[in-house]
Amino acid sequence: MIKAKINNVDVQVKKGSTILDAAKLINVNIPTLCKHPDLHATGACGICIVKIKGTNKMMRSCCTPLDEGMDIITHDQELQETRRTVIELILSNHPNDCLQCGRNNNCELQKLAGDFGIREFPFKHHLRNLPEDDSTKTISLVPEKCILCGRCVQVCQDLQDVWALSFLERGMNTRISAAGDINLADSPCIKCGQCSAHCPTGAIFEYDQTHRAWQSLYNPDKFCVVQIAPAVRVAIGEAFGFPVGTNLTGKLYAALRMLGFKAVFDTTFGADLTIVEEASEFVERFVHKKGVLPLITSCCPSWVDYMERFYPDMIEYFSTAKSPHAMVGVLSKTYYAQKNKIDPAKIEMISIMPCTAKKYEVSRSEQMFASGHQDIDIVLTTRELARMIKQAGIDFANLSDEQPDHILGDYTGAGVIFGATGGVMEAALRTAYSLVTNKKLAKLDFNSVRGLEGVKETEVDIEGTKVKVAVAHGIGNVEYVLKKVEKAIADKTEMPYHFIEVMACPGGCVGGGGQPYGVTDKLRIKRAQGLYQEDADTKIRSSHENPFVCKLYEEFLGKPLGEKSHKLLHTRYTPKPMYKK
Amino acid sequence: MSKLTRETLNKIKQEHAKPRNNWIKVGMSTCGIAAGADIVLETIKQEVKKRNLAVTVGQCGCAGKCYAEPLVEVCIDGVPQVIYGNVDKKSAIEIIERHVANKKLLNDHIYNVKGK
Amino acid sequence: MSGKNDKKIILVCDTDGKQREADYADMITSVLSEEKLDGQVQVIRVAELGIYGQGVIVKILPENIIYKISDETAIAELVSEVIKKNKTLKESVLEDNPKQLKIVLRNCGIIDPENIDDYIALDGYQALSRVIFDSSPEEVIAQLKISGLRGRGGGGFPTATKWNFARRTEADQKYIICNADEGDPGAYMDRSVLEGDPHSVIEGMIIGGFAIGADKGYFYIRAEYPLAIERVQKAIEQAREYGLLGENILGSDFNFDLDIRLGAGAFVCGEETALIASIEGKRGCPTPRPPYPSIKGLWGKPTVINNVETLANIAVILLKGAKWFAAIGSATSKGTKVFALTGKVKNSGLIEVPMGITIREIVYEIGGGVFEDKKLKAVQTGGPSGGVIPKEFLDTPVDYENLQKLGSIMGSGGMIVLDEDDCMVDIAKFYLRFCVDESCGKCAPCRIGGFQMLNYLKDISRGKASQGDLLKLENICNSVKKASLCGLGQTAPNPILSTLKYFRVEYDQHINDHRCAAKKCTDLLRFVISKEKCVSCGMCSRDCPVNAIPKNENKEYIINQELCIKCGKCFDVCKFDAVIRE
Repeated sequence: MIKAKINNVDVQVKKGSTILDAAKLINVNIPTLCKHPDLHATGACGICIVKIKGTNKMMRSCCTPLDEGMDIITHDQELQETRRTVIELILSNHPNDCLQCGRNNNCELQKLAGDFGIREFPFKHHLRNLPEDDSTKTISLVPEKCILCGRCVQVCQDLQDVWALSFLERGMNTRISAAGDINLADSPCIKCGQCSAHCPTGAIFEYDQTHRAWQSLYNPDKFCVVQIAPAVRVAIGEAFGFPVGTNLTGKLYAALRMLGFKAVFDTTFGADLTIVEEASEFVERFVHKKGVLPLITSCCPSWVDYMERFYPDMIEYFSTAKSPHAMVGVLSKTYYAQKNKIDPAKIEMISIMPCTAKKYEVSRSEQMFASGHQDIDIVLTTRELARMIKQAGIDFANLSDEQPDHILGDYTGAGVIFGATGGVMEAALRTAYSLVTNKKLAKLDFNSVRGLEGVKETEVDIEGTKVKVAVAHGIGNVEYVLKKVEKAIADKTEMPYHFIEVMACPGGCVGGGGQPYGVTDKLRIKRAQGLYQEDADTKIRSSHENPFVCKLYEEFLGKPLGEKSHKLLHTRYTPKPMYKK
Repeated sequence: MSKLTRETLNKIKQEHAKPRNNWIKVGMSTCGIAAGADIVLETIKQEVKKRNLAVTVGQCGCAGKCYAEPLVEVCIDGVPQVIYGNVDKKSAIEIIERHVANKKLLNDHIYNVKGK
Repeated sequence: MSGKNDKKIILVCDTDGKQREADYADMITSVLSEEKLDGQVQVIRVAELGIYGQGVIVKILPENIIYKISDETAIAELVSEVIKKNKTLKESVLEDNPKQLKIVLRNCGIIDPENIDDYIALDGYQALSRVIFDSSPEEVIAQLKISGLRGRGGGGFPTATKWNFARRTEADQKYIICNADEGDPGAYMDRSVLEGDPHSVIEGMIIGGFAIGADKGYFYIRAEYPLAIERVQKAIEQAREYGLLGENILGSDFNFDLDIRLGAGAFVCGEETALIASIEGKRGCPTPRPPYPSIKGLWGKPTVINNVETLANIAVILLKGAKWFAAIGSATSKGTKVFALTGKVKNSGLIEVPMGITIREIVYEIGGGVFEDKKLKAVQTGGPSGGVIPKEFLDTPVDYENLQKLGSIMGSGGMIVLDEDDCMVDIAKFYLRFCVDESCGKCAPCRIGGFQMLNYLKDISRGKASQGDLLKLENICNSVKKASLCGLGQTAPNPILSTLKYFRVEYDQHINDHRCAAKKCTDLLRFVISKEKCVSCGMCSRDCPVNAIPKNENKEYIINQELCIKCGKCFDVCKFDAVIRE
């Protein structure tokens, strides 16, 4: 333990703790700007400076470990004035069009300026005239608003190991861009949007499609239907003052109807369906030895994009089952349309996702047009939906709970945990067990695949047969798992795993790139808890037991992996170049 | 070349440290080359060859007098060892003619006299 | 040289470098011929004898005695007494008191840098052999500690301490890096050492590797130094062939090898952490310290980074003894320092002086005084991280602490002499522009602060700033100094702060009177042609790039002020001093 003093108060912290963390223990908040709890400190902004008595230097508290006997001052006139000048300098190089900015009201720079009571710009305002890049149609890059904190670059390079984003040039000309100064769409970007979720300002944000959604909702010729992903229900509340992790499914259905949607579906139904298809696939490969193992999940579109670019050799291991979102999409324009005698051409399918990559998924391959139309028309992130609810004047907090529309809204506990890392694996194992053994699982919880550890490896006993599984989240963690598989292929040794789940975003969809800002591991855990609680509270907790999934097969699809299922519910993958052109 | 031991290192030192006469060195650092030392070195080599003089022509680094580059150090039997500065092609030929062949110093170009 | 020739030689040198009407060499020759001695004595006019500001002096060979010759009587006396009678004129003898002391540059200009045997002949690799066979890593570090050697890259951190940190940190791999990313404007000490004596640095690195427990070293050399790179490459190859690099060095069980990494020309990569990032193949941006590289450096391993000059000192210290080294220099700064003496000085070049020498000695007794005998205004040290030392402090002994007290720094060794024609606002602007260009852009205070400071300086030099702007400038300076991440940003305001400290009156002149006394800030100048002096030669008109001076044959020329861009071309080309800056 390290003993030291901060503002003349004794503190005791673990060795290696930063001054910033130590100060929090004595209820002193040192202002920060570039620091993010997910990322290692880079010391870029120069706001969190403190003084160490006995030295004449100011140190950055975010990255300076507290040393034995240190005597720290966090606030005095000189520090305050220096911080203020640094903020003023940053503002002198930042557009001041806060009112039109995508981050108005939740911008970290705006908040800092507010806290410091900045009322004038003492220095000459100088803006860089840099073009925007919304080529991916999933995230928008506005380098002019970038304060070069480096979070996005670190997220893209270290957390996600994608290396699409990079700093270019130097000095005042430094800017963020796709590496090589190309369009983001031509770069290896996998559209996970983690950059946007970590950006403190309006420099990177989701490609806003709320305007388009309003146009559809106001269009009397359109029949607007909607689906919400599992992870949205436990995060939307953060935009309306609810405690983190509060499950607001019922209020969401109500709000969506008030927005004008004619039918409200739940992606969680699709999750159940995905599990039935995917678990059947697993049983085919595992029990009947038809196809290769390990089976790798494919419901995360960023992960799919990553695999197609970075590991095209491993495409055959992917489950061909579409993502839950895509399944509900295609069923809304086929099964639902037929059943309710609605012209599918008039149906406008809008989905609410915790994800930016879903905006890309809806047109990623021709299988996404399996209904004969684009199966999903618009994807909105949780953040976009929150804005629409506010625009519509809906008193979200006081809404009464409603139910989803039948049957694409009826789901099990297994479907709902899709939103957390390990959830797909857990749901699949529940169903696979029953498919293999024709028995009901006694204990449905697989705690070993839950939680935020980067890679979770475990063995599951299915009547004496060991099923080896791995769960990875955050692309940076995937390499470890895939290298093991690659090595086994090269060495022709036994596969290390039979089943692998990958989610591109840390924590899974609850930590998705389209979720409300300010995500940390603490938040990820709370959001996940909200989902696990609903699972625990649900009567039916295995996807194959969802009576409406069964009904769907009877009435419409036939059987899992059947011909119609294949046509509508499965997709294909193609190797893609890392860089276009 | 074979790998050295402590002993063979000392042997090279002793053999190589013996004083030698009749050589010319041209300062061939960036400062010298920028001032034309490469031309001077080439000229001196040619002149020595032309006249068949028994003089070794070599190179060295910057002696610090960058303002007087190119520098040429001349050590010839019977003449004081001097460093000439601001040498160009013309004065290089003169050094060979006057100093090396006729053992007389040149006017206006000496920047240092060495030795006792 | 050979002493066989006892024929006398008189070397005549005008140490003021002025054009004199009477040529002393001719005068001596004629006196000699009157005495019929001209056949026996050679009279040679020399450019320099290492003494300045003493009028005409002569050096008599082979006796090697220097006399000051003030007039014709002195010439007569010289011939009659010294030449004829072989006497020594004790009262006229000038002591040759060399101010320089060459330790780092001991072999530069002497050995062939491309021949390892030349280096070995002058005690090369003797220190290494002694260290490997007769000493221990602890002993080496202990010796360095006694020597008091401090880092020559600018910071002045004790080398022994740095090495000891790395030695004590346990790791399976350690590295030593030679920082040859020299980039200060006007500085080229490292380049000259690498070009002139690469083995001295290599030997220092091998010894460093031995001391800290590293078996791998890197030369980080800027790509703009092709000759230095070539010579270091050759030297490494030769050392490898001799088994001085590689496995079982000199037959011992010590292994060490070297590689070269090229810097792409970013000044900030001279900063330790940015240098490491650059070698690792990353963007050359500094990272926060701690952790210091000696604990966690290249690829996360303990790494010592030493400057070229520091490393060139190592072998000599271990060979001649730490106490010998510690006896040279001042109380806190031991040994010598190499400076690149440039600017308005007669003899610009590379010098090596013992610490504690005064700036006056450097400028006047080594540099030969101010160019064209103009008035000295200040001396700039430390490059863009340093400051100016005004002429009032010329007698300050040069060492780390003294220079810092004056608001400058030792820096890596740039020393630029400024005279009355230098404008301090312009000087500050020059250095700041350098830092703004070279900022990596990572941290906000340096990136934006530097840009804003430069804007205010530009406004001041154009006469478009107010005293309020000057206060804002000072405010930014102080914040950038405190809040920047690395040394580049923390020191970038120094040239402004130090010029403000000593020459605030010049800033005031620019701001209040819109006047630049040194006539450097062209925006505050007008170029006009004196009616009296103009001879209508037309030179200015021909050279004006914007045709602001129309042809006006046989009449005086007039500059069209509306068109004039104040480039100063006409001022430079006019041979009659008719173009006036006002």
